[in-house]
Amino acid sequence: MSTPVLHRTVSPPGPDALDALHMRLDALERRAGARAIAVAVHDTATHASFRRHADRWFHAASTIKVAILLGVYSAIHHGWLLPHSRLHVRNRFFSAVDGQTFRVLADRDANSEVHEAVGKMMRVSDLASHMIATSSNLATNLLLDLVGIETVQRALDELRIDGIDIRRGVEDERAFERGINNRVTADGLVQLLRLVAEERAFSPELSREMLGILHAQEFRNGIPARLPPAVRVAHKTGDISTVAHDAGVVYPPGRKPYVIAVLTEWEPEAAGRSATIAEVSHAVFELLTGEKSPGPDEEAANG
Amino acid sequence: MGEAHRFPLPIVDGLRLDKPLRDTLMPGRYLHDDAGYVRKLPRYFYEVPSWEHAMNIQLTPGFALWEFIQTDVREAAPLRGFPRYVPCAITMLALCLERLRDAVGTYIHIAANGGYRSPRHALNSNATPHSWGTAVNIYRVGDVFLDDRESIERYAALARQTLPGVWTRPFGINRGETDDHLHLDFGYVLSMPRGAPEEHLGFDAERRAS
Repeated sequence: MSTPVLHRTVSPPGPDALDALHMRLDALERRAGARAIAVAVHDTATHASFRRHADRWFHAASTIKVAILLGVYSAIHHGWLLPHSRLHVRNRFFSAVDGQTFRVLADRDANSEVHEAVGKMMRVSDLASHMIATSSNLATNLLLDLVGIETVQRALDELRIDGIDIRRGVEDERAFERGINNRVTADGLVQLLRLVAEERAFSPELSREMLGILHAQEFRNGIPARLPPAVRVAHKTGDISTVAHDAGVVYPPGRKPYVIAVLTEWEPEAAGRSATIAEVSHAVFELLTGEKSPGPDEEAANG
Repeated sequence: MGEAHRFPLPIVDGLRLDKPLRDTLMPGRYLHDDAGYVRKLPRYFYEVPSWEHAMNIQLTPGFALWEFIQTDVREAAPLRGFPRYVPCAITMLALCLERLRDAVGTYIHIAANGGYRSPRHALNSNATPHSWGTAVNIYRVGDVFLDDRESIERYAALARQTLPGVWTRPFGINRGETDDHLHLDFGYVLSMPRGAPEEHLGFDAERRAS
């Protein structure tokens, strides 16, 4: 029998507090020099929500991997795939433009473990972990190649998630040059992650498995960076030259979680992208919990 | 020859297997190849009781049985478990590869899905010698990954020189070509070793199945 989790009662933020957050983010956007900052938040404790440009479309970068994770678990849910099913690791994919082959270059991929398995087989669950935790592009394309874009789209439709548009795998340069890109909105990512957080994505068991994978995220310089250490975050980052994103489920101790997506767009090679996401996350945490988390200066002082 | 030297796997007539396996292995049935020619599939198979057996059965000094039957989730469900079935020609393929291994002087690595694949494997469209147990995809020789023109063509030439009658897939990115492994095969060879179920019984079974 599982131990019941006790959550304290919390109140939703008032209109003044929400207005103050809007102003704070407006100022942050100007100060950071971002082209755009979009934020969507859903608090499962109070059902309060916050939206700032939440329906604006962005290049998805690696946040699309959350949708692919959903597609993989849809295939598991529908019974034609098992988490321990084995998949041939092969670095050869077909462009969404013209079907020509391309490869994921090892030196452009954050994960070497999957590249080292070329020619062999890996479990679907392990590939899913690599796709999320270290953002392996090779694992991503292998899984998408296996389940198909149609399966991912069907999973999104089945769960009535809009605001996520999957068109291709990752590292498809020919598609990128033609403007064929995966796109997301902050609303779309929050809809998806909320279903997972509330254990309504296919089944409680499968939702928990997906959450477990998201909890293993190794890139922690966005949403979690300025939250207290006791706060757990299950999330996925996304980063290319002109966008930096992070979307996840935040678990403050003793309180139900909230879901947040922070999508940002920048001039190429602009600095301070992750710090900006961390600051948005910090502001939302303060709004919803009333707790002060350490600012960047305090963190530096604490070593 | 003494009992200890007998090949350790039983030979089965595919026509006598249960229907899910017959539907997967398609013993004795016909498929078109890419060129439109009709090819007759193998009817006799070795029965592999478990993965442990596959790991322990050394077909030649350089090749164990498991290397020829490692297929992924794209293989038809009846062949993802055990007992599993592999065409009897697999032993001759191993012998040929052993000769190639001697020529290269190092390990030859067969890719997943690169040995025997049933006709129902999702990677297959038309008849492929992989479903005859006479083809392999080699992705690595020693420390060399065969993922460029130079390495693939070098080992393809060596294979043709070493193995009379072998066919190697040309390098390239189009259909019928390969750019991330060396495919070699001996065509649509049917093997019926001594010890296979008696022919007249098989004939009856084949007639019943048709």
